[in-house]
Amino acid sequence: MGPFFKLALTLLGIISSISNFAQSEQMVSVKGGTYIPLYGVDSTAVTVDEFTMDVYPVTNKEYLKFVQEYPEWKKSKVKKLFADGNYLVNWEDDDSYGSQLAADAAVTNVSWFAAKKYCECQGKRLPTVDEWEYAAMADQNNPDARTKETYNQLILDWYEAPKTFNNSIGSTFKNYWGIYDLHGLVWEWTMDFNSVLISGESRKDVDKDSNLFCGSAAVGASDLMNYAAFMRYAFRGSLKANYAIRNLGFRCVQTTESNNKNLTY
Amino acid sequence: MKKILNTGLLCLMLINLIACNTKNSDKTTAEKYQCPMHCEGGKTYDQPGTCSVCKMELQPLALNNKKKGEISELSIYNLPSKWTNQNNEEIQLKALQGDVLVMVMIYTSCQTACPRLVADMRGIEEQIPADKKDNVTLVFVSIDPQTDTPQRLKEFAKENQMDTEKWVFLRGSEEDTREFSAVLAVSYKKISPMDFSHSNIISVFDQGGELAYQQEGLGINNEETVSKIIELVN
Amino acid sequence: MFLFINGNYFCPYKGQKSPLFFNMQPKQNIMNAKSTKKIFLLLVLMAGMGSLILSCAKKEKIVYESTADIPANREMIAELTAPPHVPTPVGDRKAKLLKVDMEILEQEGEMTNGVRYVYWTFGGSVPGSFIRTRVGDEVEFHLKNHPENKLPHNIDLHAVTGPGGGAESSFVAPGHEKVFSFKTLNPGLYVYHCATAPVGMHIANGMYGLILVEPEGGLPLVDKEYYIMQGDFYTKGANGERGLQPFDMQKAVDEKADYVVFNGKMGALTGDNAITAKVGETVRLFVGNGGPNLVSSFHVIGEIFDKVHVEGGDMINENVQTTLIPAGGAAIVEFKVDVPGTFILVDHSIFRAFNKGALGMLKVEGEKNKTIYSGELEDGIYLPEGSGIQKMPSTNGVVESEIPAKSMEEKMTFGKATYMQTCFACHQGEGQGIANAFPPLANSDYLNADVNRAIDIVLHGKTGEITVNGQKYNSVMTAQTLSDEEVANVLTYVYNSWGNSKKDVTPAMVKSVRNK
Repeated sequence: MGPFFKLALTLLGIISSISNFAQSEQMVSVKGGTYIPLYGVDSTAVTVDEFTMDVYPVTNKEYLKFVQEYPEWKKSKVKKLFADGNYLVNWEDDDSYGSQLAADAAVTNVSWFAAKKYCECQGKRLPTVDEWEYAAMADQNNPDARTKETYNQLILDWYEAPKTFNNSIGSTFKNYWGIYDLHGLVWEWTMDFNSVLISGESRKDVDKDSNLFCGSAAVGASDLMNYAAFMRYAFRGSLKANYAIRNLGFRCVQTTESNNKNLTY
Repeated sequence: MKKILNTGLLCLMLINLIACNTKNSDKTTAEKYQCPMHCEGGKTYDQPGTCSVCKMELQPLALNNKKKGEISELSIYNLPSKWTNQNNEEIQLKALQGDVLVMVMIYTSCQTACPRLVADMRGIEEQIPADKKDNVTLVFVSIDPQTDTPQRLKEFAKENQMDTEKWVFLRGSEEDTREFSAVLAVSYKKISPMDFSHSNIISVFDQGGELAYQQEGLGINNEETVSKIIELVN
Repeated sequence: MFLFINGNYFCPYKGQKSPLFFNMQPKQNIMNAKSTKKIFLLLVLMAGMGSLILSCAKKEKIVYESTADIPANREMIAELTAPPHVPTPVGDRKAKLLKVDMEILEQEGEMTNGVRYVYWTFGGSVPGSFIRTRVGDEVEFHLKNHPENKLPHNIDLHAVTGPGGGAESSFVAPGHEKVFSFKTLNPGLYVYHCATAPVGMHIANGMYGLILVEPEGGLPLVDKEYYIMQGDFYTKGANGERGLQPFDMQKAVDEKADYVVFNGKMGALTGDNAITAKVGETVRLFVGNGGPNLVSSFHVIGEIFDKVHVEGGDMINENVQTTLIPAGGAAIVEFKVDVPGTFILVDHSIFRAFNKGALGMLKVEGEKNKTIYSGELEDGIYLPEGSGIQKMPSTNGVVESEIPAKSMEEKMTFGKATYMQTCFACHQGEGQGIANAFPPLANSDYLNADVNRAIDIVLHGKTGEITVNGQKYNSVMTAQTLSDEEVANVLTYVYNSWGNSKKDVTPAMVKSVRNK
């Protein structure tokens, strides 16, 4: 074995530590199925195909590795088209998140473009709204716990707990699929966050949808008691792709091989 | 065995890395010059010299500095996405650099809002003074790339008598389309196999690809949009 | 000693109002003086300069066909105030380009002693900052959502003519700022609120306030102006349960409020926080109702509203006892205070006032006027039902306080909290009681003589004549629904305050009295 080959192997070792392979160990499969989203096509069921999802949101530590590998995504280098002035605003500098933030806390203040690129570079992608909502309706024991009062209260309580963005990943419950922290730490980006037409944007002169205010918010919603979902949809509606927000992070998913063609955003 | 696996992995990684790196390809275009006093209106020259009326030295147009490849951080030309136009040609958005762009996202099988958006675009085009039309490109971006093949786009252009150079119809991958909509702050969602609901926004970009103006809504007064376009061309 | 409630005091507002018919002297003294001066000046000028001035003066008074045509020049930063205060009146200023800067904060606050709640606020207060404009102003509204906030918000101002009242244009994500502008076309007092889904929850957490649009020339000047807004709150724990209380969605949907309060919390307008006036002054209250659910029957005990701008609009009703303020509505009430004393502001859906907190105070100082009011009853007697909470007497099912006191210090803290909530109204802040009605707890011989008797009275109430420090009292104190822990804490607090005998009352002592 020549020294070059050894070097190559070492390199490989370094690379693969952040590669798909290492990451996919931290992913679990979510079986496909149907669910009725809060907002959808006349409240009809949506089919979600099987996919795998990151067990945890992406952390500061992981994101630091990413920006070191792709310097164009460093705090000072990122193009304004892709991230607003709040991008990594609570990081100390380009190469450090500083002592105020926990290494294993979810990375926040990242834009949609950055999150999307991060996932692409892991050979993954951002989840769709439907995938995210489908995975997140599970509690510890049930794939769909949305009607449970305890489940809803748990989510609502988060909105009143301060500074959860700096809690360590894995500090909330492990759900039915084996996924942590879908509720209780941070909001999460989704690929098609801007498919929420029922939002506060003034630019929503669309044919069918009403907006998310006052009385009209209730029009077209499938479950009026699902306040937590209302808040998530409202939150997504307030976003633009270059926004970087203190309480907004992300995680990635992968399409399961057999059905990778049928994805619609 | 392990070696093969490792080599395979390495290859995979390399592919990933390449896929992630965005390259800036420079496209050189001819520089244009103009009299600083605008003695001959908006007349431009391809070469430096003096104005035939006031004899002042011609100045390179600012927009052409942008054209030479220097784009701002806010420019949509930072997007690496590849698109196909109605003539089945692969293009990057960069190819449109240098013109004022008027953009809208539609899908051709749309029965409700899109025909009206097309009419709005036509209305805007008609109001651009003849001597400025050359500096404006009007772009339709499909939000339904599955249905809107280049052939379909071509037919659509012909049906609407927009099959000329200044009208560009684009389709891209689902992902690039989603990304582009994110830049335009256009929201859309597939609501049935045939239909999408989407925001009705017409966006104007300057020569460097920066968003300059957005008109929201259907069939609204497009005076401001037109005056913004004219202002940019000047 | 302890909480005696004389049956009569339950209806303190019957037969105590003197009609004000014979007391209708002009109320806007300032205004009258001013306008007299003006007229005088004008006369002098006219005499001097003849008809020229007249024509000029005429020209100045342009009447606009529509308020939309009123020109607004010159920029001005809007003065914003937290309740109960209001910004300076617009007076006769011209319409301006008014810049309003408002920050949305999600922050923890105190609902009542020991009860914490996460409020969502416009400008850091509930209700949100008061905005004062005049008709024709062009308001440039900057809405900022603090980066630490978790939710997107927006603002729907009922004073805005436009889609969503500004809600659509102001929808703002955390860490962002939205700017929109509008022209005030209609004078009146308007509610503003957050209208982001779920709207009910945003309002229930305190996201509402008032914006006043004054007519040309301003509202007539008065002596005192205050800002009061009612709101209903829904908490996981029952009324008074200590700790951080989360919002309870089901109770909100069922419209079963745990707290109905003025200005966001119990006691926001009582004790040291009471609003004040002097005898002879005219008081104007800008009263709103944020809801989200309940309609307010706004009433000031012992006063009659001389004028009510019904629902905040142009129509003025006179001599009103109670005015209805719908959720998402407002009213301007004005009255001249003729006699000194403490006037209690209530939602006259009376259990809300006495059991859920919808109670405030207006303290009026000055000379008594025996013609208007004889003064037979002392001021402050309405307090009994006051800031405290009456609980239904119950024989069983007393809930143990979840957090037992660990030290003497904690005992005092918890005891004081219970005292302020349960005993304060009658026995007062320094245990001084109220003469002829409620016996003192400070330096009290009756109290110090027998600790078990004291425990027994707290647990089971007391009726009949007693003598405390040489004074005779004959009232009723109801049994208190307190846990052993709470009784021990509150009595320890009382015994260790105001020169009493420093006994330490333990839960075990309370238990033994209870089990007798």
